[in-house]
Amino acid sequence: MIAREIAIIGVGMHPWGKFPQKSFIDLGVDAISKALADANIEWNEIETICSGIYIWGGNAGHLSGQYLASVFGETGVPIVNVYNACATGASALRLAYLSIASGQVDVALAIGVDLSPEGFLTAKSDNPRQDRDVLRWRMVGMPNPIYWALECRKRMQKHGTTEEDLARVKVLLSQYGAQNPNARYKKVYTVEEVLTSKMVCDPLRLYEVCATSDGAAALILCAANKARQYTSRPITVAASTIGSAIYGDPTLRISALSAPSKAEAPLLSESYSSSQQAYRISGIGPEDIDILELPDNSSWHYLQYLETCGFCGDGEAERMLQDGETRIGGRIAVCPSGGFSSFGEAIGAQALWQVVEVAMQLRGECGPRQVQKAKVGMAQTYGLMGNSGTTILRV
Amino acid sequence: MEEDGKEGKKVPALPDLFTWSEDGVHLMSARCGSCGAFFFPMYHEQHKPGCSRQGIEKVLLSKEGKLASYTIQYYMPPPPFKTDREITPYIVGLVEFPEGIQIAGIVVECKSDQLKIGMVMKTTTFKLYHDQGGEEIVTWAFQPAKA
Repeated sequence: MIAREIAIIGVGMHPWGKFPQKSFIDLGVDAISKALADANIEWNEIETICSGIYIWGGNAGHLSGQYLASVFGETGVPIVNVYNACATGASALRLAYLSIASGQVDVALAIGVDLSPEGFLTAKSDNPRQDRDVLRWRMVGMPNPIYWALECRKRMQKHGTTEEDLARVKVLLSQYGAQNPNARYKKVYTVEEVLTSKMVCDPLRLYEVCATSDGAAALILCAANKARQYTSRPITVAASTIGSAIYGDPTLRISALSAPSKAEAPLLSESYSSSQQAYRISGIGPEDIDILELPDNSSWHYLQYLETCGFCGDGEAERMLQDGETRIGGRIAVCPSGGFSSFGEAIGAQALWQVVEVAMQLRGECGPRQVQKAKVGMAQTYGLMGNSGTTILRV
Repeated sequence: MEEDGKEGKKVPALPDLFTWSEDGVHLMSARCGSCGAFFFPMYHEQHKPGCSRQGIEKVLLSKEGKLASYTIQYYMPPPPFKTDREITPYIVGLVEFPEGIQIAGIVVECKSDQLKIGMVMKTTTFKLYHDQGGEEIVTWAFQPAKA
């Protein structure tokens, strides 16, 4: 049961892109400043800070919350830094949520910032005994998209997914990204342009895998009974959950070199876990959701997540896409932001950006990409070694 | 993808992952006597929930398995991946062993139009580079069981 109802009173984000002249502090301060202004709240009223760890930032990045807080002025409030790979921002949000739900505080800030290194993300240690990430790089040469391509090929074999289906995902999302001032990529593509883009790891092409970007997103949460002191449009957080993997999941998880052959648990079981928890806690099911921001790291993810999170049955995602059910104006608007396809990954920040987007949609602030009459939205993350986050919002 | 060079002394790039003899090349796994799970690498235990984790034995996986998936990689990965020559495009396959575990590895001796899910693959080695002493630094790999 939810101990207290909790609302989002402020959102802010630094647009996604590449900003070599900026520091993570610059991006984080920008997002927090915008969230404070949006909530019409003073910095001194923030009672706790839950910050995503910026893994490429050394000591400062590991203590990102303290560094960011010092810019605004240190006030002695609890600051906790969290890392959960792609679900880092969702973990910061959940901690902020629980801090209020427990009654310890009434107002909490969740912040995530990332400046991605150039090119492929790679191993962060050199000890294969304790970091199997080292094994996958040294022994097999496996960048992340290889994992996606292996699962995608399985899907093509099992469900008859075509190259055109994979291209259609990019085509659709590029139309939304073009209308989003916060997106990094704003060019609209045709199926032919996607299908003639460079092959990265067959069957996935350049425009069918996401880039790595820089970005920051911040949210201010408040006990619902106090929310209207700050905003006339509070958005209720109906669930904020984290899931982990389930034994017997046949997904070859990023960093692993092995997986069970026989499926005794769902594919992407960590995301299945987080979404199922969210449905249970909120009493909201996939059929009630108007907007879904899912982690389209590749075209395969877009299709698979519709099934993993229960929006369609096994092998039905391609038909949903072809029939326009996932369009704005369709049965459920999927990634009306333009998705990772238009933003690119910014690991520590992306889960919070997804929630900011859903909140803006529910407030009706999305201009040409606005989903009409949207009442309920969901933000769903991916996860590196078996972790994932789900957030469900409602007006 | 080019074939391995002349048979120098082969040394695994990292220990305890695969081994070879006249019998062929085998991946090194471990099996839990309690929950029955197989691990790869063998030192990364991943038990069924609640398992007592008793009776873990090192085992060699079968030489052959079936191709469960594959991809062709067109870009050279960054370090710590190291080869002494350009190997792109290279194939990475996921092979399902009879023991019930799927394992990823580079695929050699196979043209991309030969690839077919379900085809029988055998474990082999693949030269990454020669070290300064002239030894061949190798990793495990898979190739079609039938030429």
